[in-house]
Amino acid sequence: MREPVRPSEAPAASLPIMSVGELTGLIKSTLRLAPRLREVWVEGEVGQVSISAAGHCYFTLKDERAQLRCVIFRDDRIMMPFEARTGLRLVAQGSIDVFEPQGAYQLYVRSLQPSGFGDLALRFEALKAKLQQEGLFESQRKRPLPAVPLNIGVVTSLSGAVLHDIRRVVARRWPLARVLVSACQVQGQGAERTIVAALRRVSRWTDEETGRATDVVILARGGGSLEDLWPFNDEAVVRAVAAHPCPIVVGVGHETDVTLAEFAADVRAATPSVAAELIVPSRADELARVAQLAQRLNGATARALADRRQGLTTEARALESRHPQAQITADRERVGVLLDRAARVLVRRLEIGRAALTRAAEALPALVVGRIGVGRAEFARQSAALSALSPYATLERGYSIVRGPDGVVLREAKAVKPGDPLNVRLQRGELGARVESVRDSGS
Amino acid sequence: MSEANLDAERQRIAALPFDKALAEFKQVVEKLEAGNLALEESIALFEQGVLLQRRCEKMLSDAELRFQRLVEQAGGKLRAVDLSLGDAAEE
Repeated sequence: MREPVRPSEAPAASLPIMSVGELTGLIKSTLRLAPRLREVWVEGEVGQVSISAAGHCYFTLKDERAQLRCVIFRDDRIMMPFEARTGLRLVAQGSIDVFEPQGAYQLYVRSLQPSGFGDLALRFEALKAKLQQEGLFESQRKRPLPAVPLNIGVVTSLSGAVLHDIRRVVARRWPLARVLVSACQVQGQGAERTIVAALRRVSRWTDEETGRATDVVILARGGGSLEDLWPFNDEAVVRAVAAHPCPIVVGVGHETDVTLAEFAADVRAATPSVAAELIVPSRADELARVAQLAQRLNGATARALADRRQGLTTEARALESRHPQAQITADRERVGVLLDRAARVLVRRLEIGRAALTRAAEALPALVVGRIGVGRAEFARQSAALSALSPYATLERGYSIVRGPDGVVLREAKAVKPGDPLNVRLQRGELGARVESVRDSGS
Repeated sequence: MSEANLDAERQRIAALPFDKALAEFKQVVEKLEAGNLALEESIALFEQGVLLQRRCEKMLSDAELRFQRLVEQAGGKLRAVDLSLGDAAEE
């Protein structure tokens, strides 16, 4: 037997020598095909972090035995609520692949969670289900917010932007309020206990003078990681929110964050500033409301007086035939005095109203000034109508009222004789006078 | 309303908090609008309404926000102390 000839297997060709690129390609495809490496969850501590000019994030994840290179592409990174920071323990989810130019296998990260996240998510769902079953989140438990809150409790941290934001909103919209801050920790160990204590503290407070409690309470915290917001998912906190004696608005984190405390609140606000906007009315709106009520007050009073006057005139005519002159005069006097008083009040009010409106107008944006301008014109019109109803209003047109020695209003010259003292009432003030001569017109 | 009554009323209204004054103002207006009142009563209500309106307007234009912090004293008694947010940074 002859040795089989294997011309195609020359010694040089028989050694499986691959190029670097071929080997790397083989590793790459092997790794990519390994089912267990296609979708991995890995936990470790973040080592060095760098962000490239293109916005990709490179970092290492390590434990005692090994380290793993990780990359998060820019588009994924900007969508993540959570950032890799050196020293954090996290769980990264993604797939293993090889970056051939550097000969490095890396984890291509699709999502990042703080360590222990799985636990938190499970606890969140379990507690949510339990409290829901107890009815803590029911919509019929929700109380309406007061229309004009005067004492506002705020439960939050003294440090951070939240308190500034709330103060800014309330000072701008509703400076009539008194804000009572009950401080607590909003993150970290023991934060939940301080939140419960702060809620209790604010519920114990009453105004020193009036004995009034807070009308509404805001519980707020700025944005943060799932872990940072965790105290707001604590059972004791959620129960304290649900049991709070006055309506409570909870604004935690950003728009997309939802905590159990928010479910239990009477109103959920997307952010702390929104919480403040929700609970306070605006001063401009309230001023306009008062002006509108004032208009209705004037209108209703003018109508009431007009009706009365008409009624009394008819009544007086009926009486004239049966009553002695003195009684009729007394009735007339009574009507006159009442109408005069109303007119005087109105004139006074008109002046005060004008001054107040002018003052208010100066402090208000142009939009509202327009509305008040309308109110002012209406004021003037109604007051003029009212003044015309008073017998004494005639004096403003230059007429006078003259009374004889017995105080009776003079209607004819022959009721007095030369030398009699007279009393002349003018629009402003009175005159003491004496009759010089009497010319009876005879008619 | 007699002058003495008016004075007492003036004092009472000058001490009303905004929400109470506004609610009363609204009641007065509604009562007047409903009509069927004696003349004296209409005028008394009108005078009351004017006082309430002035009270509301004054509070709206003069208001200055009170921003305070609740502190617990020995024995658990609460005290409200003015809070300037400069202080807050220290904590």
